[in-house]
Order: sequence, then C-alpha cells, then structure tokens
Amino acid sequence: MTDASLDGRSIPREDAYAHAARILGAAHFPLVAGLGADVAGARAAILLAERLRGAFDHLASRDALADLDVLRSSSMFVTTPNEARLRSDFILLVGAGLSSYWPAMFDRLALHEPPRFGAQSRRRALWIGPKRGEAHIDGVDIDTIAAASHELPGVLAALRARVGGRPVALGDAATKKLDAHASAMKAAQFGVAVWAAENLDALTIEMLCGLVADLNAATRFTGVPIGARSGATGVVQASGWMTGFPPRTGFGRGYPEHDTWRFDARRLVDSNEADAALWISAYDGEPPPWRRADLPLVTLAAAGAKADGRGVFITVGCPGRDHDAVDFAQETSSLVLRKASAPSKLPSVADAIGAIGARFSEDVPC
Amino acid sequence: MLTCLRGGHVVDPANGVDGVRDVYFEDGRVVAATAGRKPDAEYNAAGHIVMAGAIDIHSHIAGGGVNTARLLLPETHRGHRPRPSGAPLSTAGWSTFETGRLYAQMGYTTVIEPAISAHHALHAHLELADIPIIDKGFLTVLGNDDFLLQALRRRESPAAVADYVAATLEATRALGVKCVNAGGAEAFKENVRSFALDDVVPQYGLSSRQIFQTLQQAVVATKIRHPLHLHMNNLGLPGNVETALATIDASQGLPLHLAHVQFYSYGKEGKNGFSSAAAQFAEKIAANKNVTVDVGQVMFADIVTISSDVLRQYNSLGAARPKKGVIFDGDHNGAGVLPYSYRVSDFFNAVQWAAGLELFLLIDDPTRVFFTTDHPNGAPFTTYPEVFALLMSADMRAQWLSRLPAEVLELTNLPSIKREYTFYEIATMTRAAPAHLYGFEDRGQLGPGAVADVAVYKLQSNRAGMFRNAAYVFKDGELVVRDGVVERYSFGKTLRVRPEYDRAIDQRLDAYYDDLYGLPRSLFEVSDAALPRSYAFAEVACRS
Repeated sequence: MTDASLDGRSIPREDAYAHAARILGAAHFPLVAGLGADVAGARAAILLAERLRGAFDHLASRDALADLDVLRSSSMFVTTPNEARLRSDFILLVGAGLSSYWPAMFDRLALHEPPRFGAQSRRRALWIGPKRGEAHIDGVDIDTIAAASHELPGVLAALRARVGGRPVALGDAATKKLDAHASAMKAAQFGVAVWAAENLDALTIEMLCGLVADLNAATRFTGVPIGARSGATGVVQASGWMTGFPPRTGFGRGYPEHDTWRFDARRLVDSNEADAALWISAYDGEPPPWRRADLPLVTLAAAGAKADGRGVFITVGCPGRDHDAVDFAQETSSLVLRKASAPSKLPSVADAIGAIGARFSEDVPC
Repeated sequence: MLTCLRGGHVVDPANGVDGVRDVYFEDGRVVAATAGRKPDAEYNAAGHIVMAGAIDIHSHIAGGGVNTARLLLPETHRGHRPRPSGAPLSTAGWSTFETGRLYAQMGYTTVIEPAISAHHALHAHLELADIPIIDKGFLTVLGNDDFLLQALRRRESPAAVADYVAATLEATRALGVKCVNAGGAEAFKENVRSFALDDVVPQYGLSSRQIFQTLQQAVVATKIRHPLHLHMNNLGLPGNVETALATIDASQGLPLHLAHVQFYSYGKEGKNGFSSAAAQFAEKIAANKNVTVDVGQVMFADIVTISSDVLRQYNSLGAARPKKGVIFDGDHNGAGVLPYSYRVSDFFNAVQWAAGLELFLLIDDPTRVFFTTDHPNGAPFTTYPEVFALLMSADMRAQWLSRLPAEVLELTNLPSIKREYTFYEIATMTRAAPAHLYGFEDRGQLGPGAVADVAVYKLQSNRAGMFRNAAYVFKDGELVVRDGVVERYSFGKTLRVRPEYDRAIDQRLDAYYDDLYGLPRSLFEVSDAALPRSYAFAEVACRS
C-alpha cells in the first residue's frame, strides 16, 4: 500500500512529487491553502507561495482573523494560561463549548485549586452563554448568564456599561443582576477572560476586550484567547515574521499583500482566480471548503484523510505524532517542540514541499 | 581564496589604525599582508572608508513582541517592490528577511536583540533563523521571575543565584542578561501603577534596587562577558534623570550597561515641566567608569514601542498614536506594544530628540556610549545614516534645530555644542566598543584573525547617503553587498554564551516547574530538534 495517489490510483511517492511539481509549477496563480501544519511546514508553504507568486490562506483564518481584527483595530490585554492558573481569582468564560476548542482547558487552568500568587483566595467564575449543563466545574463557585451566541454582544455591552457606571435599557431586576456581576469583576484582583474566536465574531471579541480594558482602570484584568484549530496560531506567527502579515496574503506582484477578502482561499478557487491549489491538512485531514471540482489539486494530508479521488494526494505525518514538530502550544501561549509520540517514516509537510520544490522545471524562479 | 581591499582609508580603532592601507582576508578571516602572494580577488577601495562590520548592541529585531507589533500594525509596513532573484521575502516590509537585508546594506554584520522572555526563547531563535546575512544573538530578560525573587527573599547564596542565571542562559541559548524595570512587571500584576528604584514588589518584599544589584553580581559571577543590561525604572517620565543618577550610585562599582538612556535624561524645567537633563547625566556617566550606556536616539518618525516594561506601557496606552496596543502579562514577565509617532512639532518629542544628541556629544568617551535608537522604540534602524550625519555635522544639527519649537531651544544645550564625530569615533562606537562590551574577541576589528566582516563606504560629503548604502560589505569574507544592493543571500550565526555552573540547579528547576506549572521544564528549553538544521550557533567565550 502506497501513501500517495493520482486521481485515486496509488502511485509511488516520488512520482507524486513530480506530478505535484508539474501542477503547481504550471499554474499562473497557485493557491497554498489549508496550511494545517507545524511551523516548519508553514514556513516551507509560505516560501513556496512566494516563489510561485501565488497566495496563502489557513483553513481557520476566519477565526484567527477575528482575534486579529480586534488586535489591529483597538487593544487587547492578554496573558498566559500559566498566569491564569497561578494568579487569577476570577475567571470570565465567554461563549458555549469552550472546552471543545481546548479540551485540556479546565485541567490546565486548575480553577479548583486556590491561586498560588496574588489574592490566593477561592476563585470565582462567571460563564456567559454556556451550553446547557456545561457550566459546572468541581470545586469552583460559578455564576452564569444565559445567552445565545447572537445575544453575547448585547450582554457584554450591558456588562461593560455597568462596569463603567453607565445606564442600560434593562429592567431593574436585570440591571441589579448585572451590577452584581460587574461588582464581582471589579472586586477581582487579577481577573482573566477566556474565549474562543471559533464561536464568536470580531465585534463580540472587541466588546469583550473593551470590557477587559475598562476593568484595568481600577484593577487588573486580562485575557486568554483559545487559538484556532490546525496549528493556526503558530502559522500566524510564522507568517507574521516572514511576510509581516497573517495568512490571506498574496504575492502576485512579487511582494506580500494582505487582504482578507481577496486572498480568502474559498473565494479564490470558486471565482476561478486561482488555477491550482496545494491543500495542506496534516493534523486531521480536514477537506477544502470550496465547491469547484475541476481545480488542479495537490493534497498533503494526514493518514486517513478522505481523499475525493482527484489530483495528487500525498499522505504526510501528523506534527508531534509522526515527527518532532514546533507548534504553538495553547497551554503555554508559546511555540514549543512537540516530540514525536509515535514516530513514523511519513514525510512532514516541510519534507513534502521540499521534495516538490526540488522537482520544478527550470522556468520556476528560485 | 585570498581577497585584498586595495588602498582604502582603514578606520580600525581596536588596532589603532586610521590611514590608507590594504586589508587582506582568506577563508573568512582577516590575514596579515602576505608578501609575494597574488590575491585571487582584489577590490579597489581608494576613496573609500574601510571599517569592520558594524555591531548593533540593542535592536528589537525578533521575538514575540516584535511579531505582535507586525500583526498590530499591518498598515505601516506594506512592501512596494518585487524582491530580487535568489532573495526570498527580502522586500517584504518588516519581515525578518528584510531586516537582514537592510542591516547588511548599511554595513552592519552583527545585531543583538535585547529582550527575550525565557519562555519565548524558541520563538526568538526561529525568527533569528530567518534573518539573512547578519550574525545575531539575544539577551534573556530576568528580574521579574518568581524563582529569582523567591531565592532573594530566602537570602539564598550568590552562587545559587548565579547558577540560576547561568542555567537560564543555557536553556535559552542567549548571549547575556537584561533586566527590565526590575520587579515592575510582577508589581503590575499586583495592580501597582508606578514603580521606582526603592519601591517594593508586593508579596516578595524586595526593592527594584535589590533585584538589579543581585542580578548585576550574579552576571559577574557567571563570568559571561556582557554586564547586566539594565532598563531602569521610570522610563520617559519628567524628572527621571534622578532615577538614572540614583541607579548609577547604586551600581556597586560593578559593570553595568544602561539601555536607551535618552529616555532617562529628563528634567522638570520649563512651563511644560519637561526639559533635557542630558548634561547632568553625561557628567555622571563620565565619572563612573563601570557604567556603559546606549543612547536610544529619537528621530521624527512613525514608530512602535516594544517593551518588556509592561507597567510603563500600560500607562502610555492612552497616548498611543494610533490608539491601539497590546498589554501582555507573561510568565514572570510582561510586555507592551504600542504605536507612536514622534513629531518635530511636538515639544516633548523635540526635547527627546535633542537630549539624545546631547548625550552622544557630551559623553566624550566613545568606548562607553553606544549608538542605538532602541529600534524601533526611538526610531527605526533605517534612520541610522541620518543619526550618523547629525553626529558628524554641527551645521546639519543647526538646520534641524531651526525646525524645532522655539521653546525647546531654551531647554537643551544642543545649540551650543559644536563637537563633530570623526570616522574614528563612529567606528569606535559602532565596532570596537560593542565588540568589547559583548566580549567578541574577533569582531568589530580588522586585525589578523578577526572575522572578515568588512564594510566599505564610498567617501562622500553626504554622510547619510554614504552610510545608507555601503559600496561593499563582506560577511565571513564573502561579498554580500555591492553598491547598497544585496548580492549574496547567506545566513549567519547566532552568538551565545555557555557559562559553567553547578548542574544541581537544573534538578531544582525541574522540580520547581513540575510543582508550579505542572509542566516539564524541558517544554520551555531550546533544543536542537526544534531548530532548522541549517541554524548555526557560535559560542562567545566567558572570562577565564
């Protein structure tokens, strides 16, 4: 059984690299998308996009850009999960299903233990908009404000208004309840808000970050964003130092241009602007989001990915499982080395891109 | 391959050279003139100034803070021209690739990033790995870390503290230690909003003075060459020259480097309560030979401030231009990233600009005052050529002064200072002295055995133009820049120290991480497996 195929037929991996080089090398405006990769894979992919004067996007750009939009248009207070674990005396959880975006979250934040630094008192928690039955953490006093996801901006805005002592158009009982939450937050010595951009939009995040900033007028409050899936945060970092910009960046003019609409992978494909694509999804084999079926396609994906039988498919190792990999670690808010948990001979994304890049015809510049 | 630079005016203060002569190098090193051997390559350097490659001792070029600034300000660094063949991403605005190219074009061949948090060391190395041409290295920030503060509170032995410092340098693969507003980031987490030299960190009962003094001693004990690199308290505040003077008084006669001192040279005179106190500061520096400083010159430009002084950055949030920023409470550390714009019409900015030049010009020992803009905090490093020109020309300074708000002229001594830097002094400040400051035996000079990092500038009256585009730059003996254009896209080395220490501290630290974070300490260490295979380190020897 080979781990590469062409239009659904198994072929030797070396042949697959050669086919991939032909497809990408012949394109006028190739797209490097998915980008579900470790830092080395992202680095190779971005250099490839630059070399081919194509564009690159990440499969979770929508979520990563929701946080970045707030960052680059207003302000953000952030901390590490370590500080949240060791110092927070108040946790503000925003949105449903947080632990599905970060399964180890409650284990890591250890909210049931008293903080080691600062107030060292029993922690309090407020969860705005949890799923039914979700807002229960053993050993933690946890208040909730029920809110559907579309109600979150309104709730956060009202809470922010009351923190700032401004009026809200709510009844007395509702205002009183909000005031109690506002007072609890203001009484915190080191509060931490936790959210996942995957289920929030930029305006909600902006309101939340505004609330956090306002609380700093009198006490300390900060935030822990839960990063987007498939290595997005690490890819954003590598993209940042390599090009100055996050993904959704193109090189058509020979230098990087960042445009979140223009270089959206799905739009580039479905509008026919991109004439070939390299789809990378090394963590879980997530499929591409576009509808167009006739696009010349090269896929680098984890074993078990559902190949739809078109184009070149090359199985790559999962970062941190099949091979050592540098990834952004949610638990430390930093880039770390993940040692291979089940080393295999599968190529990494960087290996595969290196092999493809070595097979371009001479018309492709270096 | 033997290369000869023929007939240039060689300015090499480390070897006392200031005159026309030939420079030879072979296999990446400078060699003595070899009688009878014909060079394989020869460059006519007549009419040119030949110096060793410049060394930047303090420039924020890599790491989480810099990258946050890139992502915060996409509007400020758009590229505008395609990159040349063979030099990927070298025109991508503010990318690591562009950073290496722009430095090399100015004849800089070694640049030190001064502020990396220990837990983000790997990130910094990955960015350094993508900076082409130049050699680089970084300082690890200590002074707000619980392990250290606990050790001080428990009055542990100086040897234990030195072991901890050395172990941290080893784990992060750094070149030295920086301390930023000692205790201030920790105090800010406890909602302290101002933090001076004798203020005490809550919970620990330690003053900023005690923390920096202990680190100063520990750095000496590790035998690494670079002294403690200190970012003092009260950065940017009116009257903060008093803090700077008190810090020098507290320096115990031990080596101490004070970073970007322009930001600490302010008095409270005048109707705005803000004036230059550079003269007073310069006198103090001159009298304390254990102290070195870098200036952190301000230039009138749009910039971004990237600082581990999170308390100070928080207090500046309202003054950001444009109004946005990031405030980060890190693991035993902090950082703030805020854009700003220095304007020639702004009274305060004009005083800052003048105070920086005063420091350069009033400290008459170029071996103890270093050339920085605290890039990008005071100005981007791309303004260096203009700053060199200002130092070398009183006329040019007079022209600039004429554009400043009139009241500024009464609050600075700059108009009365006629000193003009010579090439010899420029080379001292940017080559010989930085090599000494970091213990680089074979850099910053052109004696036999030195690394063949060489910058050749075409002599011209337009000093800024001269320094902006070197005629030739050689890195490890290879021609990398010709007429200000990068010709060869090589990758340099990362400089680090490896002090000896009692490894028992590693076990203690392992246990500390397990207990405190519930995470293995190895998760935060920099290992070879995490770095690109091509990434190369060079070790800077400790004192014997």
